[in-house]
Amino acid sequence: MPERVRQMLPSVLSVLLALGVCWALIALTMEPGTATDAYLQMLWGGIGNWPAYLDGAAATVITRPLGESAMKAAILTLTGLSVAVAFKVGLFNIGAQGQMLLGALAAAVVGAQVSLPGVLHVPAALLGAALAGAAWAGIAGLLRIYRGVHEVISTIMLNWVALSLVDNWLVVGPLRGAAEGGQSITGTAEIQATAVLPRLLGEGSRLNLGFPLALVAALAVWVWLTRTRSGFETRAVGLGAEAARAAGIPVARRMGMAMALAGAMAGLAGAVLVLGTEGRYPGTLGAPYGFDGIAIALIGNNHPLGATVSALFFGVLRAGGTRMQLLGVHKSFPELIQGLALLFVAGRMVWLALLRRRNVAPAASAEVPRA
Amino acid sequence: MLDVLHSLLFSTLDAAPALIFAALGAVLSERAGVIAVGMEGMMRVGAFCAAVAALTMPTPLAVVMGMLAGAALAGVHGFLSIRWRSDQVVSGIALNLVALAGGTFLLESLYGPNGTPPIQQLTRWNIPGLSSVPVLGALSGHSAPTYLALLLPFAFQGLLTRTPLGLRLRAVGDKPQAVATLGLSVPGLRWGAVLGSGLLAGLGGAVLSTAVLDRFEQHTPAGLGFMALAAMVFGRWTPVGAFLAATFFAFGNALRIGLVSSAPGLVELIPQGVLLALPYLLTLVVLTLQGQRSSAPAALGTPYEQESR
Amino acid sequence: MHRGELLAVVGENGAGKSSLMNVLYGLYQPDAGVLSLDGQPVRFKSPRDAIARGIGMVHQHFMLVPTLSVAENVVLGREPTRNGLLDLERAVQEVSATCARFGFQLEPRARVDTLSVGSQQKVEIVKALHRGAQVLILDEPTAVLTPQESDELARVMRGLVAQGHTVVLISHKLKEVLGVADRIAVMRRGRCVAEVRAADTTAEQLAALMVGDGQRAPAATSTPAVSQAPGEPLLDVRGLQATGDNGRPALRGVDLEVRAGEIVGIAGVDGNGQRELAEVLTGLRPLTSGSGALLGGPLSGLTPAQARTRGVGHIPEDRLHRAVVKALSVEENVALGRHTRPPFAKGPWIDFKGRRERTRELTVAYDVRPPDPEVALRALSGGNQQKVVVARELDARPRLLVVVQPTRGLDVGAVAQVHAKLREARDQGTGVLLVSLDLEEVLALSDRVYVFFEGRVTGHFLRHEFDERELGRRMLGTTEPGHA
Repeated sequence: MPERVRQMLPSVLSVLLALGVCWALIALTMEPGTATDAYLQMLWGGIGNWPAYLDGAAATVITRPLGESAMKAAILTLTGLSVAVAFKVGLFNIGAQGQMLLGALAAAVVGAQVSLPGVLHVPAALLGAALAGAAWAGIAGLLRIYRGVHEVISTIMLNWVALSLVDNWLVVGPLRGAAEGGQSITGTAEIQATAVLPRLLGEGSRLNLGFPLALVAALAVWVWLTRTRSGFETRAVGLGAEAARAAGIPVARRMGMAMALAGAMAGLAGAVLVLGTEGRYPGTLGAPYGFDGIAIALIGNNHPLGATVSALFFGVLRAGGTRMQLLGVHKSFPELIQGLALLFVAGRMVWLALLRRRNVAPAASAEVPRA
Repeated sequence: MLDVLHSLLFSTLDAAPALIFAALGAVLSERAGVIAVGMEGMMRVGAFCAAVAALTMPTPLAVVMGMLAGAALAGVHGFLSIRWRSDQVVSGIALNLVALAGGTFLLESLYGPNGTPPIQQLTRWNIPGLSSVPVLGALSGHSAPTYLALLLPFAFQGLLTRTPLGLRLRAVGDKPQAVATLGLSVPGLRWGAVLGSGLLAGLGGAVLSTAVLDRFEQHTPAGLGFMALAAMVFGRWTPVGAFLAATFFAFGNALRIGLVSSAPGLVELIPQGVLLALPYLLTLVVLTLQGQRSSAPAALGTPYEQESR
Repeated sequence: MHRGELLAVVGENGAGKSSLMNVLYGLYQPDAGVLSLDGQPVRFKSPRDAIARGIGMVHQHFMLVPTLSVAENVVLGREPTRNGLLDLERAVQEVSATCARFGFQLEPRARVDTLSVGSQQKVEIVKALHRGAQVLILDEPTAVLTPQESDELARVMRGLVAQGHTVVLISHKLKEVLGVADRIAVMRRGRCVAEVRAADTTAEQLAALMVGDGQRAPAATSTPAVSQAPGEPLLDVRGLQATGDNGRPALRGVDLEVRAGEIVGIAGVDGNGQRELAEVLTGLRPLTSGSGALLGGPLSGLTPAQARTRGVGHIPEDRLHRAVVKALSVEENVALGRHTRPPFAKGPWIDFKGRRERTRELTVAYDVRPPDPEVALRALSGGNQQKVVVARELDARPRLLVVVQPTRGLDVGAVAQVHAKLREARDQGTGVLLVSLDLEEVLALSDRVYVFFEGRVTGHFLRHEFDERELGRRMLGTTEPGHA
């Protein structure tokens, strides 16, 4: 399928170029050997140290790194999906970060303060998170539909509102966890054992239910977009809103629904973080996975499965990044690779001009809705 | 009471310039029709480069280096969004991510997690005679950027409304085709505006590390670039409006910090988080009430395609 | 082109008038050929060169900055300054002076978006004159004007000519061209086919030159479209009113009826409410007053989805904007609008097999090339895209089909095919409402014709009553309405 390959090519080349540029950066600040070693460390730290395993080391040298990668990839997949789903209907969701914070908070509250049997508790917490994220994204959707407020501006504002309200008020105020054993803690109370996402490989790895959940979500979104009537309507609205309207498609409803779904995905990302890794809403959620989602989605060509692949790749890099520190390379390095890759993807038109294939040249960045 | 007001004003005037410069940069870029989501990244680069430069050169010169760094990043934005008509939001976000991760990486590799070594701050100017006047005395004792930040918005407003260049900038943000049919260069005007916004954002960042602090810290500018966007929207895309909004936001922040230390009881009633959210909430309310189209430039975010083949 | 005369360039849509003028103004570069001004060959690399040589252009779509004042718009790019500052006072004076010299009534300080369309056009003219234009090109200037404004514009143009300016008027409205021009150049398919003195010609002669006599004549006589006795009424509207995009009334009380098994044509000059009528009938534009029955339901409050369920098909004028999504595949476009029903859907799921099979059948039946259901629609030529639209709409077996400009921009073969398909649908009992600016097309296909002028029906003709001259007069509003 040459067309599909051509679609993917700019992303793949961008990632490769970013890897190359970053390698050169370490090579220049340190020395070439270190750069190569660091990349190897990043690889072993991400997919497991296979050479060591084959030399007879315990299986945990494989399972542990893979578990870490999977956890990061799960969250990145969900926030990436959040951005990609909104893109499909023609909206640019910069607000995955805020939606994720609210989802995380909802999961922490349901996980800690509601008592349910194990089979129900996790689903309930996930549902709460999805609803919270959907509601937060829904505000931006409604503002766009009824007041014409551009979603880029409104979601940026909503991010900061969420951050301020959650991190600086709710988590340190009304929802702050009670002191345990005489020590006051930051963040909300520990979630109950029934709400913890079950680990899949026991003690050998922190791999938990969040990873399959994210993959299932990606698959479901893909199936929905490509196989169902309403998914088709959503794509039609994103690619040609006026033609969709003339075809009798309820444009406003599709926009609202897609935005809510986007928020739900980001909310789930927060839930996976809280129920799987943190165990509660910590003092601050810190990591900007919601913003990463923008990069993940765009590098993945706004395709649900493309976003998943890009999330898996960067999940591996992220997990492996911690290993680079052994060589004095900071763990933020994979994020730099990711940022540069997005920058190169933004130069999609440059790639296409370089690749110069006549039938690709038109349609200025068709995958991105006009702001 | 006067003392309280004095110290509030003083800290507002100390903190506001960075936000004001960035907000003006955002106004400049958006009035010419280019979305300014990349302010945060440009500020960060400006702050980092100014702090590093100040280790080896006089601080005022380092501030200029910071501005140039901001403009360099803006140049990348211009290359992608003007030359290649890439999506302006994608390009801006990409720059933010690169600046965020790149800043952290360079900081940690070169100086460690506690920020760059301290540098010589910009000199504070004491205005003789003024410092003893109650309240107004708060105007004295700031560094040069503060005074620049009080003047620049009005100069910029004048530029926009009273000069040929300003007229063309406004026209290119509202209807680039009209500008093109008169034989003026749409890309040229937009390039100028984007580079100018980079200089301003870089200045805002440089002020953070050379006047507000005395180093580049890991989290700089901690969202100020986005608050600048809020100030721009709140100020209805005008320089003076953005200036007033930025000052208002900075004043609110100074008030909040003042309250935490002086009246903790009040903070119980109005939680800090709510106060922190206020600038963004207010901006959302304003947008909801007036709808966006009323004051945003009409051609904002639309890449201009040359008509001729 | 001579100094101090008013040259009109006429031709049908797509005859190349606007492209020619854009070359004159430096917006497009000529691929070949020479442009001469005052006997010297010139080459304009940009509008700046053209302006410098005294050429001004008033575009069909105004090139004004709506948020700026009249004076600011006029001086943009050559602003008067004092000490480096914009001298708005002088700009206002200069603009006032220009206005006074040419007898325009404009308030220089008014914001452009508060002005009427006619006034905005005057701003455009002043803008060109202010730059010292000796040659003024007006591209379809009356398309958006009311008759009163058009008359006013004619006076303005004659006034300019009287002062020694040269005016080039591009238009397809023959009547006004005859009334105002000195000389008329007729363009057809990118060539100038004739040049006549306005005084020596008539609208009929011009029309014949425009459409190219010989080749069109057979179209009108071929396959007499006589239908059987019309069936049940599908559409019946009384006193229909609606507002246009510009906020002015576009339909001012239309009565009309369409029955099953007939093609009803709507004839009229561009911009007389035909487009809005089609939009109202397909649920895309709300009606402001009047009543109507459409396929057994009320016309007011109609949504596009309801229109489709009731059995309204729509072949819109603006294909890429309204009819298709060019980034989607051919089969997805075939499903668009019917994607909730078999064979395109099974419950909430897309029926890929059914969709593929139906698309295959249609691409064969309608000769869509390439006959590949999976290819993106944008890869198809305009004619093949239109075939997809026609195939989709007719395949839905609509009871009422609203068709607007179905053959615009298509080649001869595609035109014939579209016409045949419309007749076929009619013969199978569909009621067809055909809106076209091409009178020949309307006459060739229709069983009945309503003539529109300024949002009203000014004539109604049965097939045996068709008389081009009489229709033409009604289209120009020169006779009193009420013939029907």
